[in-house]
Amino acid sequence: MTEHGDLHFSRTFDAPRELVFACMTDADHLTHFWGPAGVSAPRDRITLDARPGGMFETVMVNDADGSEYPTSAVFDEVRPPELLVWTESHSGMRVRSEFISLGPERTEVRIHQTSVPEAFQAPEAQAGFLSSLDRFAAYLAGLAS
Amino acid sequence: MTTQTADTLDAAFAALADPTRRAIVSRLARGDATVTELAAPFAMSLPGVSKHLRVLERSGLISRRREAQFRPCHLEAGALDGALDWITTNRRLWDERFDKLDALLIDLQPAKKRTGRARD
Repeated sequence: MTEHGDLHFSRTFDAPRELVFACMTDADHLTHFWGPAGVSAPRDRITLDARPGGMFETVMVNDADGSEYPTSAVFDEVRPPELLVWTESHSGMRVRSEFISLGPERTEVRIHQTSVPEAFQAPEAQAGFLSSLDRFAAYLAGLAS
Repeated sequence: MTTQTADTLDAAFAALADPTRRAIVSRLARGDATVTELAAPFAMSLPGVSKHLRVLERSGLISRRREAQFRPCHLEAGALDGALDWITTNRRLWDERFDKLDALLIDLQPAKKRTGRARD
């Protein structure tokens, strides 16, 4: 089922599924990649309790100017090594990460984000917004060109 | 994301959650148009189209000139920029995280160090 306003990302890694899953659920690993380019995620500021109801908090620090971007979420589902679901506390955005084994040394991670949910509770939205945000993004990019 | 940005995004997404309104926005991307011109492609009354235009106007996606007799509708590209920026930023965040995760996985598997990065 296509949910209201969702985003999909997929990436395939040359590593066993257990290891990729461990990287996403172990703060000692997460600190090395959670901050995107130019941003760090200090180990001592990560709280990661990978079980249903457990906290998932990070602070991403901009290397250039020190500005901080805290994130806070709660795990909804934790099923090693195949599934992680958390809900962001501030936005209500739900992030579902599926770990699919493509072989002993190859793993696909599929991220499915259900975003900006408040926007779709408006009566006019109930008519059915079936396009995903991916299609919406392509649509907007088309308008801009 | 600031509250104001979030509110603007909510309004933009909600306004675009309707195929008729998306078609109106597409039409306005090609240039300003009056209500009559916008209504022409749709089997819909002028009041029906006006209702959609009010939703789009409230969301900030379009504006209408107060002074002109036919009040042509104008697409406010800035309102779309906010939505597009948000999606683009969100996607880049994961892309860059996964670039770093790729590097980490190579470090964690010494035998793979010479194989380079995995890609889709």
